[in-house]
Amino acid sequence: MKKKIDVTRIIMGILAVVLFLCLWTLSTREGTTLGKLMPGPGEVFKRLLKMTHTNIGSLTIFGHMLNSLRRVLVGFFLASVCGILLGLGMGWNRKCEAILRPLFELIRPIPPLAWISLAIVWFGLGEGGKYFIIFVSGFANVTINVYSGAKAVDPEVIGAARMLGCPKHRIFTSVVLPSSIPYIFTGLQIAISSSWAAVVAAEMVRSTNGIGWMITAGQNINDMEQILAGIIVIGVVGFLLTTIMRGIEARLCAWSRV
Amino acid sequence: MNQNKNGTKDNKKYILMSICSVLVFLFIWELVTDVLGIFKSTMLPSPVKVFGTFIDKFTNTKPDGATIQVHTLASLKVALSGYLIGVGIGVPLGIAMAWFRKVDCFVTPLFDLLRPVPGIAWLPVLIVFFGIGLLSKAMVIFLSAFIACVINSYSGIKNTRMVHLWVGQTFGATRSQLLFKVAIPTALPMIFTGLKVALGASWNALIAAELLASTKGLGFMINQARGIYRPDIILVGMIAVGITGAILGYLIELLQKLVMKRGWRQ
Repeated sequence: MKKKIDVTRIIMGILAVVLFLCLWTLSTREGTTLGKLMPGPGEVFKRLLKMTHTNIGSLTIFGHMLNSLRRVLVGFFLASVCGILLGLGMGWNRKCEAILRPLFELIRPIPPLAWISLAIVWFGLGEGGKYFIIFVSGFANVTINVYSGAKAVDPEVIGAARMLGCPKHRIFTSVVLPSSIPYIFTGLQIAISSSWAAVVAAEMVRSTNGIGWMITAGQNINDMEQILAGIIVIGVVGFLLTTIMRGIEARLCAWSRV
Repeated sequence: MNQNKNGTKDNKKYILMSICSVLVFLFIWELVTDVLGIFKSTMLPSPVKVFGTFIDKFTNTKPDGATIQVHTLASLKVALSGYLIGVGIGVPLGIAMAWFRKVDCFVTPLFDLLRPVPGIAWLPVLIVFFGIGLLSKAMVIFLSAFIACVINSYSGIKNTRMVHLWVGQTFGATRSQLLFKVAIPTALPMIFTGLKVALGASWNALIAAELLASTKGLGFMINQARGIYRPDIILVGMIAVGITGAILGYLIELLQKLVMKRGWRQ
């Protein structure tokens, strides 16, 4: 679907963004009702620049960003490992499926953020609870995708491998595993963006640093510029995370998208 | 996976195993809480206690001021109002973005700016505009549902096969006929996927929004229970959230079957 370079598309896109910024500036100029509530884009941008070298709370904006990122990456890593193992196990072995699937289906419909309170009771207000929330947000997504990937292996291919005398564990490593990899990446892709959303929510509920905390702190001191700057950072980091994941996928799974 | 021959006998065995697994799980849970006392009831209440609390919450308004039905209805009201607006705007916008080139060029960049920000992050801004009432929470849910709906309807329409459109054109279909008779029916499965994803996202956002700012609803109930160390009520709330979400998901699936079975032929 990708075309080469589409000039009208780029011009229209720039026009749309510029128009949006103009509208924002105009509607928040001094004297309007909206202007009392919202800062203009220029002020937010200036604030964002200022935040890179002055502290908000105890850290600069990079410190908060790194804290949030660390939480996401730890939780996401645990969720991926467990999710891939569980998904492959359930997809490959029927006994494993019969035993673990019902337990998984019991937990799956509970929205991840509903675990926040329980996580606080279990792990306290420290890092453990946040890792747990992010783990829960990513885990179900990874598992369900890997599971359907391992289930979707063409039975004829497995049959062919068996006919050629391939032992069972090698069928797994050289047939089932490679053909589930695109599904694994789909799962990871969904999981990273929901983990990022979860860390923001978890930090908004209880935290002393991180991007989510920055927003709620801004709300508490009625500082709209800080809130909007936080939202911009969240958007940029979220965008970068998904782009990086997509890049890794394109590199590693180049063979699957013909 | 490799044994397809003695299927029915095997299936019975596996169903039995599934039932056993759930029972063993509940048994171990009961064992480590009430019987052996490894986990205190302020950390992890036993399944019997959770079940008791669940039944009790249907009539008991303590300690959060309402029964579980009232909380569920309050949550449903917020979630559905946000969700329906999100679907009502998101699906047509997604279709328009994919179908009309000008809309695509103009709106897609703006949408891409909005997309990576999770809905819940807007809550502080929305509270400033709309207060802590229903509207700000409904708006958070609206944003969460809206994004999923737009993405899925957009890619659904974009996946329409050019050949089908060409056939339509050859037979003299007008542009609107092409849209309504070819493109939208092709996109329907994707649109329904979008509806399901949006439901999950909005249900998730609702809980977060209620944890942060509310006086009613299941998320509020869970949060209150945490404050007074009643994890049994937290678990009851989570179970109620899970069941309600599952029922809503099932309803969408039913709707999908209904719409797609009837087809769009006339």
